[in-house]
Amino acid sequence: MTWRRGLAPAICIALPVASMAWAWPDGLPPWRGGAILSAWAGTGLLLASLILAVRTPGVANRLGGVATLDRWHHLSGSLAYLLLLIHPLALAINGLDESPLVAWQTLSPTDQTWPEWLGWLALLLLMAGLAGSFGPRLDYRPWRALHWLLVGGVLLGLAHIYALLGNTMPVMLVIGASILTLGWRLIISDLGWQAIPYRVESISHCADRSIELTLAPCARRLSARPGQFVLAAFGDGPHFQACGEFHPFTLSAIEDRGRLRIAIKALGRCTRRLQALEAGVVVRLQGPFGEPVVPTTQPRLWIAGGIGITPFMAILRNETCGPPTCLIHLFRSPYEAPFLDELEARSGQHGFEYRPVSTGECIPDLAALLDTFTDLPMRIVHLCGPPALIDSAHAALLARGVAPGAIHSDRFDFR
Amino acid sequence: MMRKLYLSSTVMFWIAVAALWGTADAPSKPAIASPPPAEQPAPSGRYTTRDVARHALPKDCWMIIRGEVYDLSSYIPDHPADPAVMLPWCGREASEAYRTKGTGRAHSAYADRQLARYRIGTLKAP
Repeated sequence: MTWRRGLAPAICIALPVASMAWAWPDGLPPWRGGAILSAWAGTGLLLASLILAVRTPGVANRLGGVATLDRWHHLSGSLAYLLLLIHPLALAINGLDESPLVAWQTLSPTDQTWPEWLGWLALLLLMAGLAGSFGPRLDYRPWRALHWLLVGGVLLGLAHIYALLGNTMPVMLVIGASILTLGWRLIISDLGWQAIPYRVESISHCADRSIELTLAPCARRLSARPGQFVLAAFGDGPHFQACGEFHPFTLSAIEDRGRLRIAIKALGRCTRRLQALEAGVVVRLQGPFGEPVVPTTQPRLWIAGGIGITPFMAILRNETCGPPTCLIHLFRSPYEAPFLDELEARSGQHGFEYRPVSTGECIPDLAALLDTFTDLPMRIVHLCGPPALIDSAHAALLARGVAPGAIHSDRFDFR
Repeated sequence: MMRKLYLSSTVMFWIAVAALWGTADAPSKPAIASPPPAEQPAPSGRYTTRDVARHALPKDCWMIIRGEVYDLSSYIPDHPADPAVMLPWCGREASEAYRTKGTGRAHSAYADRQLARYRIGTLKAP
């Protein structure tokens, strides 16, 4: 899996480099040459970003996992935006050699026609779409709507290239690859064309505003392992209206006959609605995604924040005999702590130690918690929870001598 | 880090656009005095198609567009599309190619203004 993690960065380097090599300017003034190169490097990176947005299990596993894809999708998209901002500015600066008026006319929409307007509109849509990603954290629906602006920006950018450069082979290759990738993402991932149908068999409340579902396969089964997650889209029930979108849920148990369990906490509009779910509802699953937990004989330390307990439940429930393991479970109040009773019942058995920590509204004192361990550098550490918890725990563990390769984390910022 | 990059680059972009807009009325750089090329054509010259046909090379490229003669030798490397698309029209009547770009789409008003800077004269009957 390690070498596969290099594939996503390789795509992010290869596509802009190939694009620049094709368009390499010969004998042009430096700013004009720079404008051409920034445009093509940005286009190559945008194509890379689109490819890395395809989240089928096959693609994700081949390219190093969905977390790697997600990270490089964001990085390549952001760098593409930066390079595409440089493009019109460099063209205008090239005009300064002649006069400031010529420089401004290179940019001014009133001095251009529709091929250049397409470029401007594409840039403005990318700007607005990225504001949704980099602005204050939005609910899923508005965030998704703003993400569609990015798709619009990409399509208008491609139209801008076509209008200016015509149907030469490299241009058509870039346009064809981009449209194919977008279509693949839309049909396979967003519409769930290959999703596998399951049925909600039973529902239990595992904490305040949290439910756990047992899902039984209608026909074909997913082959999942503890530590992995699925994308699930629920159908409507007799008294339940679903959101119809795919959302990620970590598996909390993998049972016989293909049954899976997932835990859902009411964190947003859709997950709040799911608290009223009824047994019998059909749910379509895509996956599994994420790296399964690798068996080890080394002692383990698990740190979970709130509903981040879910992957650890799957491991505990599917493991008959594991190495000595300590689980630190951070939550606001015992009412909001999923699986509290079950975990307390398991504590002390088979080398498993459970340390529940009720933090209230305070920031947990991770340093004090970690300082109770004398063998931290010997342990394999797994973290799961909100990004702030992961980041602070990661830093605290490194400061206490835990090797970076011994720390594994699942963040809750995947969308 | 990505957030900071997005915010800073977006703000700097608009500052640069505003600066270019603000300086659009500033006077042009003074031209550097240099001796005219040996065969510098007169801006209001009159040329036959045969005259134009003698300038059919990439580095010496004249074209006839709508009855006017243009010396586009220095512009060819700046052309947004592959400069090779212009080369077949060097030394020839290129009005239709300019009007349609080979795809049925006209050049922009900005391109028209740019073109005017390369005019060296008009076409006369052979």
